[in-house]
Amino acid sequence: MTTNSPTVGFEFPHYDVGIVDAEKMKTMAVLLQDPNPIHWNLSAVERLGLGSKPINQGPNNMAYVVNAIVSWIGGIARFRGLKVRFHQNVFAGDRLTVVGRITDIDQVADGELATCDVQLVRGDLENSDIVMAGQASVIL
Amino acid sequence: MLSEEDLNSRVGYQLPGGEYLLEPYKNWLTNDAVGAPNDENDFAHPMFCYYAALNTMGVSLEELFAIFGATSDDGVMFGEAEIDIKKPLVPGSTYAVSGQVTGVERKNSKKLGVFDLVDFELNLHDGNELVGVSRNSFIFPRELNDDDQ
Repeated sequence: MTTNSPTVGFEFPHYDVGIVDAEKMKTMAVLLQDPNPIHWNLSAVERLGLGSKPINQGPNNMAYVVNAIVSWIGGIARFRGLKVRFHQNVFAGDRLTVVGRITDIDQVADGELATCDVQLVRGDLENSDIVMAGQASVIL
Repeated sequence: MLSEEDLNSRVGYQLPGGEYLLEPYKNWLTNDAVGAPNDENDFAHPMFCYYAALNTMGVSLEELFAIFGATSDDGVMFGEAEIDIKKPLVPGSTYAVSGQVTGVERKNSKKLGVFDLVDFELNLHDGNELVGVSRNSFIFPRELNDDDQ
């Protein structure tokens, strides 16, 4: 870690996921071999009383947080882990942002391991509509 | 509903596992679908720790639910999910996946009524080297509280 390295409390740059695209869910359903129709069949979503838009796969939501961390830290090689709890469904058309900050830094064999609180937020950040939250770890 | 004794007996249940080929085209398509750049060709998207594990645990989700006396129609929900990367995954590599049920707990909440929390862990090995761990939990709703019925 250099003298310019982030410290506990550092908030990494907000990561704009953009608008969740229903077409991407179809690609991921095939890649994940996920037969659940709530990701592509509106009739199934409505029949189950889950709304009127396709529901994003949970692992996609995890992937957005991984993207945010990798983008901040500058490479996949320094990414170490992510643990999340799913709070709410994410729907096609939702706008998402990843936010987070360092809560702990430990010395480990390959450097400084930072633990970060991370949140995936829907819509305007000031509304605090947190759809997924957890902890990520990276080598600084 | 499984008795608590039957539920507890599932701890240690070994998942069959198997081998997962991390095909480069799947990495490219995954990056494209989740908005990750496709400019880092040396390493796969870290979420392949999860994809490889779940894809290759050796039973379908429906079969996993059946081990706990449930079906997908019972409203089984994801609890937590974790990926623990020991070494970056590499497109074109083949990984051995193995795993087991690591914990069960019967709980009661105002919102869900009686439910079972089931934890399982899947390990990815490259040869003898552990390169990643995927830990997940499922929530099996069992009985609603009287207030909810």
